[in-house]
Amino acid sequence: MEMPPPPPPPEVTTPRLIEKATNSTDPEVDPRLLKAIKSAARFSDEEIRAAADALMDQMKKPHSQVRYLAVHVVDELFMRSKLFRAHFVVNLDQFLSLSVGFRKNLPLPPPSAIATNLRSKSIEILEKWNASFGIHYKQLRLGFDYLKDTLRFQFPNRIENAARMQQERRERQLRTMQILVNKFEDLKENFTSIKSDIQLTVDEIRECLGIATIEKENRLHFPPVDGEFEEPSSILLRQIRLESLKEGDKVHENSENKAIFDALRESYKLLTSKHLPSVQEWISVLVRVDATDNTFRDTALKEFIDIRNLILSVKKECSELGVSLGQNTARDEDEDLWEEGKVEAYEPSDHTLTEPSAKRRIEKSSSAESEFSVGEISSSVADRGKLLAEAPVLAWSPLLFDKWGSQSDVLANHRGLEVESHWGRVDPDAVIPAEKIAELNVHRAFYKEEPVEIRPCLAPLKKGGLCQRRDLRHCPFHGPIIPRDTEGNPIEQGLPAQACDEKHSEEADNELAEDESFNESTDLQLARQAVRNVRGRDREAKSLKRAKLARIRRHNEEVLRAAAIASTSYSAEALHDDGGAVKAKKATLASMLKKKVTARDRIADRLLNSRATDSSIRQLKLGEDSKYREAFPNQW
Amino acid sequence: MWKEVRDREAGKILPRLFTSRVRSRRVAALQLSNHKEIISAHRGAINSIQVDLTEGRYLLSGASDASVAIYDIQQASDYGERGLIAKHRSLLFVDKQHEHGHKFAISSAIWYPIDTGLFITGSFDHDIKVWDTNTAQAIMAYKMPGKVYGTAMSSIATAHMLIAAGSADVQVRLCDIASGAFTHTLSGHRDGVMTLEWSSSSEWVLMTGGCDGAIRFWDVRQAGCFLVLDQLRSQLGRRPPLTENPLKKVNASRITPAGKNSARASPSHKRVLPGNAMKNSTASTKRHNFPRGSAAQRLHPGMSSSLNRATAHYGAVTGLRATSDGMYLLSSGSDSRLRLWDVESGCNTLVNFEAMRLQTSKPLQLAVTHDSSVVFVPCMTSIRAYHLWSGVTFQTLRGHYESVNCCYINWHDQEIYSGSNDRKILVWSPISSTVSEMEGESKAADQDNWSD
Repeated sequence: MEMPPPPPPPEVTTPRLIEKATNSTDPEVDPRLLKAIKSAARFSDEEIRAAADALMDQMKKPHSQVRYLAVHVVDELFMRSKLFRAHFVVNLDQFLSLSVGFRKNLPLPPPSAIATNLRSKSIEILEKWNASFGIHYKQLRLGFDYLKDTLRFQFPNRIENAARMQQERRERQLRTMQILVNKFEDLKENFTSIKSDIQLTVDEIRECLGIATIEKENRLHFPPVDGEFEEPSSILLRQIRLESLKEGDKVHENSENKAIFDALRESYKLLTSKHLPSVQEWISVLVRVDATDNTFRDTALKEFIDIRNLILSVKKECSELGVSLGQNTARDEDEDLWEEGKVEAYEPSDHTLTEPSAKRRIEKSSSAESEFSVGEISSSVADRGKLLAEAPVLAWSPLLFDKWGSQSDVLANHRGLEVESHWGRVDPDAVIPAEKIAELNVHRAFYKEEPVEIRPCLAPLKKGGLCQRRDLRHCPFHGPIIPRDTEGNPIEQGLPAQACDEKHSEEADNELAEDESFNESTDLQLARQAVRNVRGRDREAKSLKRAKLARIRRHNEEVLRAAAIASTSYSAEALHDDGGAVKAKKATLASMLKKKVTARDRIADRLLNSRATDSSIRQLKLGEDSKYREAFPNQW
Repeated sequence: MWKEVRDREAGKILPRLFTSRVRSRRVAALQLSNHKEIISAHRGAINSIQVDLTEGRYLLSGASDASVAIYDIQQASDYGERGLIAKHRSLLFVDKQHEHGHKFAISSAIWYPIDTGLFITGSFDHDIKVWDTNTAQAIMAYKMPGKVYGTAMSSIATAHMLIAAGSADVQVRLCDIASGAFTHTLSGHRDGVMTLEWSSSSEWVLMTGGCDGAIRFWDVRQAGCFLVLDQLRSQLGRRPPLTENPLKKVNASRITPAGKNSARASPSHKRVLPGNAMKNSTASTKRHNFPRGSAAQRLHPGMSSSLNRATAHYGAVTGLRATSDGMYLLSSGSDSRLRLWDVESGCNTLVNFEAMRLQTSKPLQLAVTHDSSVVFVPCMTSIRAYHLWSGVTFQTLRGHYESVNCCYINWHDQEIYSGSNDRKILVWSPISSTVSEMEGESKAADQDNWSD
């Protein structure tokens, strides 16, 4: 490309579009422009040639952002047009040197962050091109080979990676198949022994159960287990009683049948923890295995399912008879929980009975009541609940100990500390007077701030999502915090009258629509409709007026600007500056090249300038001098 | 094209004209060949390539990793990628592991011009070796005083079998394959000799280009060089102007009078080569290309005349190539210039080859078409084709990723082979309409794909 490309004929539009598309600070090409480029390039061969030349020109710009966007466009066209490919591969080495920057004397231009992106992107697309069109274009193969074999660039290796993953997955599958087959072979050998094992356990359980039930029939009705008193005073308790009676029907363990129960428990455990999972596993193995011996598989599967059903039925029997271990342990746990709860209630970790814990205590005590129904609080469960609800929640303090209202003196050393060997006079009979005790025991409370839930701002963000900043009243980015719906649109509340009206009218509108759909228009709605129509007309007139004013203003501004540009460059600049100050500063390609001043730079500016370094050197020297003089004061 | 075929059948155009037209048209349509691929076995820069002169079938390449390889360019060893791409793998490969292999980079590898049974390599390890192709054994070795930059054999020689070798030493040596010894030591250059070329019209004339920027012409039958090309002596046009007597012009352009020359030169000739003077007279009458030779011959080689100090390029002369008729010589120099010399008058023809940038550190191998119309010059990473007579860029062949060192034109098939620092040997061939038609069916993947 030594010669500049001949100026394209005026009807060629792609170069202009390409220039526009690449002159942007966005990380992607504007999709609308890209579409426009594609449709324009599709129009004729001439356009495609012009596009290739224009893209090459853009690639030569000393700005990585421009090149990056140009690479995007090139990729789009390259994947689509054959003519573009044929035209473009001829200069592929140049394109690669500009996009990958593999030549030492032609490094990629700033900004460096985008240059890195540009390089990785170009390498990626080169690989893609080579994979799809490498056969047809020697240049692609050459470029790819050169970057890969000579310069040892790291290619993402998409295709190979995918193939390798596939291979690995296949191998893994093969391995699992092999394992399954091995297991299957194992099963073939051990099938009978497994079956007999399980059968043995099941038989054992059956026998134990049989013995237990026979015993039960011979037995008298046992009194209920300790800890269950019967108090027929409340419905709740009656219910409990019924339950316990039912419980009483079941076989219960006692000293006579203990041996049977132990054996039963053991074999039950064996059955549930060992045989059942193993049977499940065998079933899954049989289902998954791809064996040649299908008849064996089917029969084995059938038998295993039967065995599983058998085990489940035995388990059910056991649980019906109430001898399963699981129930016992469950009750134990319940009691444990109660104990713990009691301890917790009296010594909470944070020395404060917060609301939930208090509630729990209530629950606990009520449950305690229901189970134990202790005599003291038996008067009325409801009363107690009411009282508890009314009772104030106090922070833990010594006051809560059982000395309420006692007016006696207290020995200072009532714990019997050994104070004999201390210096000084010791009065073992020292007494703290009652008023002092009262003073010490005065109940105190600390002010505790109510935890306020600070709502997030929830304003919609540009990049998607909602603003999660939590401020009390005013978000620094999105203004006052107002309630918003899930999409971040403000839910209007207590707004100026007009807005309210609008909202109302909208609601009304909705209602109206609904109603109309039901063919139920009432007078009220008609009236509303009329009001809304009038208001809408008012609004329309207002907005028209506003638009007119805006148009006039814009026109004036344009005229002024034109005049300014025509008069002097200085004034034009001033006007421009004015506009710039009003507008937010827009990122441009040139601004991307500017180095950002970081805190480090500022500190370096302060610390590394010559005056600072000189002075610090001087200071250090002085320090050294004085040290020396101190160390050798007798020397001059 | 079909019209031309008909014309030839009708006898309207001569067969030779027809072939030359077809050939030039094909050369004009050269591009990187997608269907012919030479799988380079080298792991270093390719410094020299040549196709054998007898069959036009075997490509010899020498590379910087001290390896030399031979490829069959007619018959592909296998076809890859669905049979679309013919791959040519090396038939013979000799590298450092070989017992006679060179130790350092091979700077030049040339075929023995008579048949393909021998080839010659020159290397930076100061050796020139003659190899038997069939056994892949070195059968002869010459120890040179410095790194060998270039070797050359005359393709038209019938009376001698001399390898001309240029090295980092100032002397050009001629090695005789028949005797296995140096027959000549040609001194005159003031620096190493980069490139050598035998005249394609006279088997006795050798042209050498040195790092001192001089191009010297030697007649191997007599001592000393008889012509030093001077870039400041120029003529307009391809031939010297007819109005002037060429002999007179040459004589006039010499600074020392011819008579004086002869008086001083003849005794020295007698002293150095007693048998040569007698031959000289017969030779000078026979040679038609050098009519003013009688004056030039008598110049003493070591004489400090201003003529002897003339330079053809500023900097080193990196490449020499004579046209196939032997009338013109092309030279490239490290001053990034290409010059076309009229051999007969020894003048620069002042053809202005368009701007180029040439590699300066290595000898370059230029290629000229047989009808002397186009010259192919390795210009850094590309190969440029220039019209020989106008110097206009005619084509730029891009494909290499590092500097190209050598190119060779296969006039029979109108193909160009190029070797480069990126270790590749690329084939450039004319676009063939039949091939593109043939692959039309299988090329389903390479189509427009406008999804939107």
